[in-house]
Amino acid sequence: MASVAAAKVQEVREITRIERIGAHSHIRGLGLDDSLEPRHVSQGMVGQLSARRAAGVVLEMIKEGKIAGRAILLAGQPGTGKTAIAMGIAQALGPDTPFTSMAGSEIYSLEFSKTEALTQAIRKSIGVRIKEETEIIEGEVVEIQVERPATGVGTKVGKLTLKTTEMETIYDLGNKMIESLMKEKVKAGDVITIDKATGKISRLGRSFTRARDYDATGPQTRFVQCPEGELQKRKEVVHTVTVHEVDVINSRTHGFLALFSGDTGEIKAEVREQINSKVAEWREEGKAEIVPGVLFIDEVHMLDIECFSFLNRALENEMAPVVIMATNRGITRIRGTNYKSPHGIPIDLLDRMIIVSTSPYQEKELKEILKIRCEEEDCEMTDDALTVLTRIALETSLRYAIQLITTASLVSRKRKSTEVDIDDVKRVYSLFLDENRSAQFLKEYQDEFMFNELEDESMEVSAG
Amino acid sequence: MAQTWLEKIKKSEKIGLIQDGKRKVHYRFREGEEMVEEYSMDTDVLVRRAWRKRGTLGADGIWEVEIGDPEPNSSNFESLGIKESNSAPFVARRITKSNLEWRIRNLPYSLDVYTVTAEPENRCITVRTSNKKYFKKLSVPDLERAGLLPEQGRIKFTHQHNTLIITYQKPSEVIQLEKKILEEVKAVKVAHDGDASKCNPS
Repeated sequence: MASVAAAKVQEVREITRIERIGAHSHIRGLGLDDSLEPRHVSQGMVGQLSARRAAGVVLEMIKEGKIAGRAILLAGQPGTGKTAIAMGIAQALGPDTPFTSMAGSEIYSLEFSKTEALTQAIRKSIGVRIKEETEIIEGEVVEIQVERPATGVGTKVGKLTLKTTEMETIYDLGNKMIESLMKEKVKAGDVITIDKATGKISRLGRSFTRARDYDATGPQTRFVQCPEGELQKRKEVVHTVTVHEVDVINSRTHGFLALFSGDTGEIKAEVREQINSKVAEWREEGKAEIVPGVLFIDEVHMLDIECFSFLNRALENEMAPVVIMATNRGITRIRGTNYKSPHGIPIDLLDRMIIVSTSPYQEKELKEILKIRCEEEDCEMTDDALTVLTRIALETSLRYAIQLITTASLVSRKRKSTEVDIDDVKRVYSLFLDENRSAQFLKEYQDEFMFNELEDESMEVSAG
Repeated sequence: MAQTWLEKIKKSEKIGLIQDGKRKVHYRFREGEEMVEEYSMDTDVLVRRAWRKRGTLGADGIWEVEIGDPEPNSSNFESLGIKESNSAPFVARRITKSNLEWRIRNLPYSLDVYTVTAEPENRCITVRTSNKKYFKKLSVPDLERAGLLPEQGRIKFTHQHNTLIITYQKPSEVIQLEKKILEEVKAVKVAHDGDASKCNPS
C-alpha cells in the first residue's frame, strides 16, 4: 500500500508553470510596422505579405471601433496561415478587446438551436466597459505558506499574510487562489491587490521596505509604498464584460430555484432586449462604453444556409461585432442546399464581405516557419536537417513537416544527441506516413482491407 | 437627513411577519435595494438588520449584515479561493436601549493597545492598535441617518474575552428617530406564522 502511494507521488508534477505549446502559440502579433507595412519575419509571422497588410487595415478598423457588422473572409488553401492571421489579429488587439474564436461546426448542439449558438457567439464578442464598485484587498505580502498533502494528491491549503502600515491579517487560501498566486509569481515583499468579486490578482510592485534586499530584481521592478489604512477597501474599478455575460447574470433563475439551475441554456429574447436597452441607457449616461470586438469563425463552410441567412440579418445590427471567417474550400455546395457557390457561402453574404486571400508559402518562407516552430518547441536542428525538412514541407505539407519536429527531436534525444540531424528526420519520415504516402499505400493494398467490396458505392456517395 | 430616512422607510414596500418571538420586516426600496429588520417582541429593540443591493450589472448581491452577528458562510470561498482566517478579527454590531455597540471579536491584545477616536471629518469611528495589528474604520449609519456626526465624548470601550467592546451613547435625536420608525414597523400588517415547530413536514 505504502509503495503504491510513493509511486503516485512521483507521477504528480507541478504543471501550473508549464505553458503548453499549441499549433499557433508562436504567434504574438501581425508583425506590422507603424505604417502597417508587414515585416518579412516578425512576431512569429512569415510571408503572406498582402494578406497581413489587409489584416492590418482591418485591425485599424476594429481599433477605431466605429464600424460595426463588417465581415471579412480569409480564403486560402489548407496550411497557408489563415488561422495564424486571425490569431495575430487577436494578439494585436490585446486582452481588453473581446475576441471569440469558434469553429463552424461548434454551433451544432442538442442543447440549443443554431441561431442561439450564433447569437451567443456574437454577444460574446461585444464588450461593455463599465465602472463598478467592488471590494478589493490591497496589501503587502508578508508570507505565503502552502501545504501540500503528503500523498501528493488532493486539495492544497495555504495561508497568506498581508499587511498595511496599520494592520495585518491572515487569509486562508483555496486551490484556485494558490494556483493564481503561483502563476503571478507572488512572493513576500510584493504589493498586490485581489479583486474580491473576480479573484483577479494584480501585482503593483515591490515594497520600498524591501528595496535593500539583495534580490535579483530586474530593471523593470517597480517599488511602491506599503498601502495605508484598512486591507479591504471599496474601489471603483473599470471592468470589461461581454454582453453575453450580462445576459447570463440577468437570466439566472432567482430565489431558491437558482440552486437547481446549472447551465443557462437558451436565453430569452425578452432578457436580451432588456439588456440592450439597459446598455444603451448606460451609454447615454456616460456610465459605460461599448467595445466592439471580433468574432472569428473558422471552417465557415460548415455553417448551413439558415446560419448564413441569420448572419446576413445579424450583421446589420448596430451592436454587431466585426466577423472574421476562414475557409479552405473552393467552389462547393452550400450546406443544407443543392446549390454550389464560391467558398460554400451564398452570394448575397459574400457580397457583404471583404475577401482576403492567402497563397501557398514559398520554400524560403517554409524554412523560416519551421525555424520558428523549432524554437517554439525547444528543439535544436542542424542546417542540413532543416533543409531536408523544408523539402518535405514543400513536397507534402507544412503541417506534416511541423509534426516531424518534435518527433525527430525525441528520436535524437534517444541517441543522446542535443541536435536533430538529417538521420533523425529521415527516421521519422519513414516511421510516420504523410497523407500522400498513406493514400498510395491504401491503393496498393486495398484488396486486403475489410469491406473492400463496398468500395465503389461508398466512394460515389462521398464524391457526390 | 432625518426626514429623508423616515420618508424612505415610509415609501418602501413592507412585508411583516412574527416568528420565533421576533417581529420581522422586509423592506423593498425603489432602487432595487432590500432591507430586513428583526425586532425583539419583548423589548422592541432591533436585533438584526441586513441589506442587499443589486450589482451594477443586475446580479443579486449577497446579504450584508449591518446589525447582529455576521452570516457564518457569506463568503464564496469555493469559487474565489480566499477568505479571512477563522482567527481574524470581525465586527458584530448591536443596538441596546441606550447605546450603539460594536464587538470586535478575536482581538487578543490587552486594553492599553487600542485607541478609539471619533473622526467627524470622515463620519466614522476609527480603531487603531499601537502594535499595528488591527485597524478599522467603523461607519455609524444610525448617526448618519439622523444627520449627526460622531462625538468623542460619547465613546467608551472595554476589553474582555478576546473581545473589544465599544459603546456609543445614543444621542436623543437617534432615539427619537428610532421611535418613529418603530411606529411605522408596528403599523405593518403581520402574518402570524406561528412558530416553526407547528409545521409538520411529511
